[in-house]
Amino acid sequence: MITFGKGNLRIPKFSRPVYMVAGGLTDYRKFYPEKQSTELCRDAMCDAVQNGLGMAVRDFKELANFCVYSQFADHFGDQLLASSKIHDGLGFEPLGNMENKTGGATGGVSTVLGAMAVASGLASCVPVIGWERMDEVSTRQGNAYIASAACKDFESKLGWLYTTYYALMMRRYLHENHPQRETLAKIAQKNHRYARFSPYTQLAHDYTIDEILNSAVVSEPLTYPECCAMSTGAAALILCDEETAFRLTDRPVKILGVGIGTDTLRTADRRDMPILLLPNETEEMYRERKSDWPGFTSFKAARFAAYQAYHMAGITDPVSELDLAETHDAFSVSAIQTYEDVGFRPYGRGAEFIESGDAYLGGRLPENLSGGLIGGMHSVGATGIFQVVEAFWQIRGEWDKFHADERYWQKFGKTKPKDFQSLQIPNARRGMAISHAGTGSHVSVIILERGW
Amino acid sequence: MEKTRTKVVLLQGQKVELVRRLFKEDVPEGVIVRPNPRVITHYHTYGGISRFFEGLAQGKLMGTYCSTINCEHRIWLPPRAHCPDCWEPMHWVEIPAAGAKVYTHSTTNYPGEGFELSVPCPLISVEIPGVCTKFMSYLSEFGEGEPYIGMPIKPAFRTENPTYSILDVSWVPAETLLPSGST
Repeated sequence: MITFGKGNLRIPKFSRPVYMVAGGLTDYRKFYPEKQSTELCRDAMCDAVQNGLGMAVRDFKELANFCVYSQFADHFGDQLLASSKIHDGLGFEPLGNMENKTGGATGGVSTVLGAMAVASGLASCVPVIGWERMDEVSTRQGNAYIASAACKDFESKLGWLYTTYYALMMRRYLHENHPQRETLAKIAQKNHRYARFSPYTQLAHDYTIDEILNSAVVSEPLTYPECCAMSTGAAALILCDEETAFRLTDRPVKILGVGIGTDTLRTADRRDMPILLLPNETEEMYRERKSDWPGFTSFKAARFAAYQAYHMAGITDPVSELDLAETHDAFSVSAIQTYEDVGFRPYGRGAEFIESGDAYLGGRLPENLSGGLIGGMHSVGATGIFQVVEAFWQIRGEWDKFHADERYWQKFGKTKPKDFQSLQIPNARRGMAISHAGTGSHVSVIILERGW
Repeated sequence: MEKTRTKVVLLQGQKVELVRRLFKEDVPEGVIVRPNPRVITHYHTYGGISRFFEGLAQGKLMGTYCSTINCEHRIWLPPRAHCPDCWEPMHWVEIPAAGAKVYTHSTTNYPGEGFELSVPCPLISVEIPGVCTKFMSYLSEFGEGEPYIGMPIKPAFRTENPTYSILDVSWVPAETLLPSGST
């Protein structure tokens, strides 16, 4: 729809508060033959329960009463109802469960589903578990599977590759907004670099801007280091009602706001409409604007999700009221588009978010300290959960516990870099995670805040 | 008397070659990775938008529009069987492609598996006057500096041996002289 009725813009509201009490990750690899998906999910849950909550598995299992599973594509795992295997592998039957599939946003939307289960009173303790087995097929076949999430009648066949669909958007973005080409490379450089300080990440590397710009072009103008990883791995988090949360930890993190937005599956079909304004924007700001909205440079789904989440959380100025953000940087260009959609900068000025230094550690709103999708991982069903877990650790002041500890580096067969640097944001209170599908067909926004 | 028993046998008794190396990495000792090949054909219907693909085979670009008052009156391309605004059936119309331009573009160099075109393949979004969408397609003939945003283009159709897929239409520079029935 391109016009809104009153009901369409209702602000979401939980019937009772929802808290996150723990998160757990595996590392992420291109090829992970050592473990089946059931084993990876078990590892992520062990990390959440044993290292996160400091509980025995049996004690935790007595509390759980509903589960949410998050896997993008049955194609990859080649097993329908794979969640059932994960569920009984963890011995959760006969508890109820649901499996969500919303493309690249599967992890974020699954987390919202878990929150819905708690907020409604359906459940009081909900593990949300995500994974993707992307190493059963060649990279080319993997790209074709992912592109099966584009419209098979009109778009998939034109590339069998999402990079090329995003490259279309990038060309248009460069044409309309004229950012420096280097600014987009800086996003990739930043995220590959932050990935170096995490034992979980797949594509940790220090690149120069020239190296990024001179790398092989996947689809003009996107180069290899500007594109996300294809990963195998898992991520898990645990959501509770207030009473259970404070029983399990004295520092639970509250789910302050959530939003889910959508757009047409085909980028082609996005008719122009007036910009939906965020609390920090006015019509005046866009009076001189000549480009279509959302056109090919913006994601209406991200804007709609942010609109809901900001209003629900009472956020009026995201850059000053949030302490960190995890964005879905599948490509350098999608990150810059998202900065504008979620109001870090007005439309057309996303580059300033990078050039100002705001997006870096020490800046006003550090973004993707996890390494994001470009440096960290994109094990699709796990991705949105990975983002929330990284934000949770930052808010709890536990980044060092889960990244600096030598035991994690050893567990994943890695060597901690000699120039290791803590990426803990001092006194982080509030964070945001954005999960994103397709060329913006689904986007979720989750805002977390210290609950103690 | 001896009882007759039926044997169950493995029908495809091919020798399985275990995978030793994948993604430039060796499979670790003690881990079995076996190939699971699949050859599958899906029989896919175009249902209510079949006319679009029939149109391509006849050298026509067909779109749909909605005649309901208060709905979008511009043409949808890709066509839709029903109007997303009012859910009523839409009407078919041949799209005059005069004035078509490149809205944005890319070039596919490393496509996913199953890509049926040669590379490099310029991917384009097409802006057509009177059409409310930006049709995704490819440029089947291009020179240096092409495509570019705003480039005038015209459609070319695979009317001989059509594939009955979106690949039956491509675009060429507007000034190109086309032999009939080819791309």
